[in-house]
Amino acid sequence: MRFTVERRLNQPRWLVVAVPIGSVVVGLAVSAVVLLATGHDPLSSYRQLFDAAFLSTGSLNQTLIAATPLAFTGLATAAAFRMRIFNIGAEGQLYMGAITGAAAGLYLGGRGGPSAFVIAAMVFMGCIGGAAWAAIPGVFRAFFGASEILTSLMLNYVAAQILTYLIFESQSYWRQTKGFNATVFPTGKPLPSSAIWLGPTVHVQGGITLPLGAGFAVLAAVVLWVLYRRMRFGFEVQVLGDSLGAARYAGVRVRRKVLAVMLISGGIAGLGGVSQDGDFRHALDGDPNGLQKQAYGYTGIVVAALARYNPFAVVVIAFLIGGLANAGNTLQGADFPSGLVGVIEGIILFCALGGELLVRHRVRFVPRTRTPAVAAPEAAP
Amino acid sequence: MNNSLLVVLIASGVAYGTPLLFGALGELLAERSGVLNLGVEGMMLVGAVMGFWTVQRVHAGSAVALIAAVAVAALAGAATALVHAFLVITLRASQIVSGLAVTIFAGAAGLSSYLGNDLNLADVPASHTFHAFFPARMQNWPIVGPIVFGQTPLVYASWICVVAVVYYLARTRPGLNLRAVGEAPGAADAMGINVVAYRYVHTLIGGALAGVAGATFTLAITPQWVSGITGGAGWIAIALVIFAFWRPELCLVGAYFFGALQALAPELQARNISLGPTELWTNSIPYAATVIVLVIVSSRGGRRRLGAPAALGVPYVREE
Amino acid sequence: MAAAPAVELRGITKHFPGVLANDHVDFEAAAGEVHALLGENGAGKSTLSHILSGLYRPDEGEILRDGSPVDFHSPRDAIDAGICMVHQHFRLVERFTVAENLILGDRRGAGRNFRIDPGAVEATVRDLGIRYRLPVDPRARVWQLSVGERQRVEILNALYQQARVLILDEPTAVLTPDEAEALFETLRDMVQEGRTVIFISHKLNEVKAVSDRVTVLRAGRVVATVPTAEASPQSLASLMIGRTLETIVRRRADTSGGDVVLEATDLWAESDRGSTAVKGVDLAVRAGEILAVAGVAGNGQRELAEAIAGVRARARGTVRVGTKRLRAGDPRDAYHAGLGFVPEDRLGMGVAPNLSLSMNIDLKAYRREAVGPFLRLAQMRERALAAIHRYDIKAPGPHAEADTLSGGNIQKLVLAREFGGRLKVLIAASPTRGLDVSAVDTVHRHLLEAAEAGVGVLLISEDLDEILALADRIVVMYEGRVSEVERRDDVDEIAVLMAGGTPST
Repeated sequence: MRFTVERRLNQPRWLVVAVPIGSVVVGLAVSAVVLLATGHDPLSSYRQLFDAAFLSTGSLNQTLIAATPLAFTGLATAAAFRMRIFNIGAEGQLYMGAITGAAAGLYLGGRGGPSAFVIAAMVFMGCIGGAAWAAIPGVFRAFFGASEILTSLMLNYVAAQILTYLIFESQSYWRQTKGFNATVFPTGKPLPSSAIWLGPTVHVQGGITLPLGAGFAVLAAVVLWVLYRRMRFGFEVQVLGDSLGAARYAGVRVRRKVLAVMLISGGIAGLGGVSQDGDFRHALDGDPNGLQKQAYGYTGIVVAALARYNPFAVVVIAFLIGGLANAGNTLQGADFPSGLVGVIEGIILFCALGGELLVRHRVRFVPRTRTPAVAAPEAAP
Repeated sequence: MNNSLLVVLIASGVAYGTPLLFGALGELLAERSGVLNLGVEGMMLVGAVMGFWTVQRVHAGSAVALIAAVAVAALAGAATALVHAFLVITLRASQIVSGLAVTIFAGAAGLSSYLGNDLNLADVPASHTFHAFFPARMQNWPIVGPIVFGQTPLVYASWICVVAVVYYLARTRPGLNLRAVGEAPGAADAMGINVVAYRYVHTLIGGALAGVAGATFTLAITPQWVSGITGGAGWIAIALVIFAFWRPELCLVGAYFFGALQALAPELQARNISLGPTELWTNSIPYAATVIVLVIVSSRGGRRRLGAPAALGVPYVREE
Repeated sequence: MAAAPAVELRGITKHFPGVLANDHVDFEAAAGEVHALLGENGAGKSTLSHILSGLYRPDEGEILRDGSPVDFHSPRDAIDAGICMVHQHFRLVERFTVAENLILGDRRGAGRNFRIDPGAVEATVRDLGIRYRLPVDPRARVWQLSVGERQRVEILNALYQQARVLILDEPTAVLTPDEAEALFETLRDMVQEGRTVIFISHKLNEVKAVSDRVTVLRAGRVVATVPTAEASPQSLASLMIGRTLETIVRRRADTSGGDVVLEATDLWAESDRGSTAVKGVDLAVRAGEILAVAGVAGNGQRELAEAIAGVRARARGTVRVGTKRLRAGDPRDAYHAGLGFVPEDRLGMGVAPNLSLSMNIDLKAYRREAVGPFLRLAQMRERALAAIHRYDIKAPGPHAEADTLSGGNIQKLVLAREFGGRLKVLIAASPTRGLDVSAVDTVHRHLLEAAEAGVGVLLISEDLDEILALADRIVVMYEGRVSEVERRDDVDEIAVLMAGGTPST
């Protein structure tokens, strides 16, 4: 007996949804086994996680805080991947967007309530920062054929250094220099009140604030979907993502497309960065143990992969993974195994990757036959 | 003279560069077989924690405990690599996503922390650590003393590994086969080479060496366990392979260069020398330099002569 | 007493998704003979040879070597049994030297060592090269070699491995007539030493020239095995096809008075490797005319077609469609001027393989059909449906992915798309390569219809029969240059030009 893997001739629609959901289920089951093996009760751990993520008071707030950046980096990754471009640099592009967006906020902001003008400027500058950083690997890929995977990855570290430098190693514009605390520990200059992103409050769970950034993320998902599915730009992206030869044959301007897609991807990640400033941290966070430890960029890649690069699915999955991350943080302590979140996420992702095979291929078991050279004569009907 | 900046830098460069070297050698072998492994950081962390655990648990003489610890670290790294190998070779999953999944699974927010905290390994010094191998007298010799003789046995082991890998690739049949698998798996298959086996074996070896690299941290450099102790060394190791044009001897040079860069900023500070934002530069240079190398090897002339194994990152499917 | 055949296949059956490639095939070849395996594209010759050489495993049936059953789990086993294949698409590692490639497959003799010794191998390569008239520099890197030289390396590899049975898959596809002749001599030398050569081809004249016996495959089954001397080209052809094909005879319309719809002047273009592939070509095609460019593959035809169509940049020269001068390297410009292009590489260029038929139909028209930046997806589907009906494309629907179609249907899709524009001139590069007979027929019909309708057709093909059947005028391309053929029906003149010579007047 051996098994063969064959390409499916057509892909039934239900499979495309069933396989990812199935992988999550299998993933949770496997994680449960791991938990059992290390002496923890899986059902109780899962219940605690779910509770801390979505049910308990204030949990939705925290989940949204964790999910919003993931939606941005997930969308950024998905936007690039549609054309088979692996932008691993969402992490660094997010940092750069945080830097440029914060600059806009600090410079233009003043007193008074949140100003639409200032926020718009911050959004604009945040996108520019991320896009510019993404342009570097974009140019190298478009004009030199250098793999964007590694160039964008390397630039993440450079961006992290720059971010740390601005707050920790210099007296830059972004750094808080006044006040007693400033001499004790380097922090970013707080954003003026008109630069703070205040979202609407919803009366659920005792009142939660919907971050403005979350709204922008949903908007970005819609725009991305329309752009890629309903517009000429998206047509060309799909063709180029499928076959370079066919794209050149059709007259698609390949270099421009590669660059454009990287810019869009970086811009979205940059928007995620300025959302960090405006929605949550209210200053530029250059602490190596702060924003840089959150791994929003890398987790975003996981989100995008699980969502199979569909913009709407990205938003949903970002919410779920955000819940998981939030729960992991909240529950951390002697009783609740730390590192569990990473383990579960990893296992689910492994199962999703394995399940991916089933979507495009069919696995059959083939009995190995050795028919004799002379066939038995068939009985005449 | 042995306290001059240059000598200290080089000696530190060798010490800090050793985990980078192990990681890079492992990644080089995996990539030469056509498998991109972005999970090196995760594998290092798993090796670090399991190596530390072993050394705390084994009640025997120093040498035995340490050797056992390194062996366990290697096994742990290889086991982690097995997951990645299975996903990308047999199940033909995306090598990039799988590697990142391994890093998330095993990394500082994942399995290595899980194990470290569950096994109560934090805040405790290691029971045994690697010390300098040669007697103090030799360590005091001018220049070569600290640089060559002041190192731990792991460093010497890494030198042996480099020589072994160089010889393996250039002068042996399996090494030639490996190179063929990474360049043209179809041709290798037609010549009767088992592409799948080569990829599995070399990915596992890559994981094992990454595990050893991780153990270098917890058993030699900072002999303690902390979550996320490798601090990004896995990523530098990946960069290093490219920076070294996929050549093991250049991995050695590059590793020590990057290691020295890491030592530069603290040394300057200790000597009260201020050269401006040193840390920004020294920490960025490895990555920026790698980007430049990448662009060079991707150029038309470069790709043929200098570049990556041609089949890197592509799952091999024999059309059956 | 007859010795057991060198190789024998009994009852070999092999399935692929959607197709039965080999259907209970019986085949045997003796030592010291050249045995040809003849059949149309898609008849199952390649599959059979891959089974014999260990790359595929049969679903049913047996393989016997010198009378004893063998089971090949991999190409390694076949090589150990002395069966070695020279592939149509070479299986060489480009970055390695010739010597390294040979060491790669070697398991006998010096190859058993753990250490490798290039020096010894290089000496052996030189010796073999002299003995079998296959000179190659063992230290050269494969990417530096020409196509003909690479084939020599593949053959040397088989000899180095002491193969007793060599399988050659369409070896002359990339050779000039002279090189092919030299190859046949080499094969005869090898066979005289008692080796066996299995020669796969779809070219009747070659089979007649070199083989002792021929086995004809059709639709996965063996139709006949005959001594070559007893078979005539006509009988072989009808066995191959299963019926007598009515040769399409083109009504030679006088098109000398028509407008020039395509004109290329002093055209120069580079190949992917950086060498000059097209050297100062002048061409003109009139409305309603079929101008054929004959020549062995690799003389710049692909680059010529791509340069005219705008897919490849031009180093020098101009291209006009009608009165409009085309911008270099701009396929959209060419398309809007009325130039259609059926590329040589169907799957790699002509379609986007994983996208739907709807999207492929609009691959060039999407800009014109869109409303501003927005696509009209419903209309796209309609156009695809219309094309499926008009061109009889066998597909489950417009949503089907392009590469699930058979070669013939993909070509119909490409034609449907190209004919959909306002066509003034059509470039068809090797349009029938790899297609089965009925698909070839369909393509020819469409090309003729286009010419009848006044479209100028530039047909680039290696298939001389096709050219002779369809073309009004013929030019021959050799090493980047083009020469007009004086006497259109003189096959000898064409053959001489194809080999780079000058025809005697």
